[in-house]
Amino acid sequence: MSDPQIGILMLGIFILFIFLGFPIAFTLMALGIAFGYFAYFDAGRMWRGYERLVEQGAEGWQVWQAYIDGFFNNRIFDLFVNQTYSVMANEVLTAVPLFLFMGYIVERSNIVERLFSTLYIAARRVPGAMAVAALITCTLFATATGIVGAVVTLMGLLALPAMLNARYDKSFASGVICAGGTLGILIPPSIMLIVYAAASGTSIVRLYAGALFPGLLLAGLYITYIVVRSILQPSAAPKPTDDEVGDVPLSKLIWMIITSFVPLAVLILAVLGSILFGLATPTEAASAGALGGLALSAIYRALTWDKLRDSVYLTLKTTAMVCWLFVGSWTFSSVFSYLGGEHLITEFVVGLNLNTITFLILAQLIIFLLGWPLEWSEIIIIFVPIFLPLLEIFGVDPLFFGILVALNLQTSFLTPPMAMSAYYLKGIAPPSVQLIQIFKGCMPFLIFVVIAMVALYVFPQIVFWLPNTIYG
Amino acid sequence: MLQVIHFIDRFTTWVGRSFSWLILLMAFGMGYEVLSRYLFNAPTAWAYDMSYILYGTLFMVGGAYTLSRNAHVRGDFLYRLWKPRTQAKVELTLYVLFFFPGILALAFAGGKYASQSWGYMETSVFSPAGVPIFHFKTMLVVGAVLMLIQGVAQVCRCLVCIRSGEWPADVHDVTELEDQLLESGGQDYVKNPLDIGSATGGKDQ
Repeated sequence: MSDPQIGILMLGIFILFIFLGFPIAFTLMALGIAFGYFAYFDAGRMWRGYERLVEQGAEGWQVWQAYIDGFFNNRIFDLFVNQTYSVMANEVLTAVPLFLFMGYIVERSNIVERLFSTLYIAARRVPGAMAVAALITCTLFATATGIVGAVVTLMGLLALPAMLNARYDKSFASGVICAGGTLGILIPPSIMLIVYAAASGTSIVRLYAGALFPGLLLAGLYITYIVVRSILQPSAAPKPTDDEVGDVPLSKLIWMIITSFVPLAVLILAVLGSILFGLATPTEAASAGALGGLALSAIYRALTWDKLRDSVYLTLKTTAMVCWLFVGSWTFSSVFSYLGGEHLITEFVVGLNLNTITFLILAQLIIFLLGWPLEWSEIIIIFVPIFLPLLEIFGVDPLFFGILVALNLQTSFLTPPMAMSAYYLKGIAPPSVQLIQIFKGCMPFLIFVVIAMVALYVFPQIVFWLPNTIYG
Repeated sequence: MLQVIHFIDRFTTWVGRSFSWLILLMAFGMGYEVLSRYLFNAPTAWAYDMSYILYGTLFMVGGAYTLSRNAHVRGDFLYRLWKPRTQAKVELTLYVLFFFPGILALAFAGGKYASQSWGYMETSVFSPAGVPIFHFKTMLVVGAVLMLIQGVAQVCRCLVCIRSGEWPADVHDVTELEDQLLESGGQDYVKNPLDIGSATGGKDQ
């Protein structure tokens, strides 16, 4: 068996071991070390000290110790520690705990209900007003927090009963909430894009700039769909009677917007703007965002000791989860490429005679399928690096690929069997809303994700215009 | 056995939680750097080093706490269909086969790495301030040792489960907001969900 074949064996064994449900970080670590021990095995080098002692004619315990030391003299251990340290000192990943902390603080700041009622009143003359308001609330809130679960449950508590009360179609209403809440992983500043940047070596700043318009495009498509469907099928989103709409004076509406929409929008724009225009590194902007989130929470009188403590502890747990996964993955993948496994995969894919478009379709299809059993963190940290060497061959910019992946992973939150967004919503929704209705409601939005992906392929300028304009 | 589990859990939780407050230090420290650079035109020489030292320490030390709360991500789509006893047997095997060798390697190789760094009191190369980083490299060992200690507790958990057929109950811990809401049905978060969004609704009126 040649080295590259052993590399493929290593990958195969790893995929089998995922099924055993052991924490993946440690599986990666152990397989990396075991196969690395084999790959870097060099008897001459490892037992050099022992050989020297034998030549000198030394005897006894000293020789035995040198012999045992030989076993631990494998270069894999240095590699392992170096990879671990490079995760610890990674300048991109430093932003992860800060953005997480900002998200945890903002999601506890009681802002959602104000935001939703304000946006509803502002949009009340628009067809499907409540759904539009729900979608924009989800989008903004998910963008600020960068986390999917919380916004879906919060909106499931607030907006779903309100929409059902207004006789909205159950599927339609739940689809809006799931799709809107999932947008947060795409629109920057999102944590998933930071993780992609660290995993692929792409510039996080360019990635953020590139993701902005695709994110807005998808949100725009969603809103258009909601409005058009509300016009075409009024029974899905009945118009409120004049009585229900009520009358809110303009001055009061403006005040509501100033106190709910503006602070959150300013927070997002300040964080994103300072990153895009190079005023601050993502880490610095994230810490400013975290401080801003604390201030916001304090202004809304939501900053209690309990909430602060919860946020701090949760930040630690999530950071540790993501970063230990990186430790395992970087050790694993450097051994994998040292064995030449990457090379073999590249040769295989080249042998398939794909062109750029068929390669992209195949790659996205694989990532879509991986989204069924796995979470985004595993897909990005472990599997995306396998695709990276192929991108060069097919002339695909890793930046462009990253945006496609972020779009694609929207679907993994919305399709069974691992549709996290749908499950969260089901968990909190009134019992009359069935899981199947939620899935049905998500389907139209999935079509728009695919449309957005095709649009990006046809007009790559949607991705490249902003980064190229700002950074040349 | 249960006492061992609880003792170790309490210990790693205490250590992890104590270090988790570094996130506030990180936020305020970096915030100070931005302020100082733009308002006083005086960028600090230590902010960059501080950011990764705090972040690296945070996740290395937090790893054991995260393990104790079962928060390291698993591919559990088959795993959760199994009986607890089967889960525990598989897990016990993999702790012995994967976890301990891997983490022991980290502890020993990390120890060598850190002691070299201590040998010449290594400082950071990123700024003239000469921020020391030998203690930061020691965090490799600290993190690994905490992991080993927690690993003992995890093995005990598996043993208890193999014997009794049920996983020992977890200690209560902070949960994600969505889980809190799912558990409580959202009663404590939103008083009258139906009020909000109706035309005259909105809490602050």
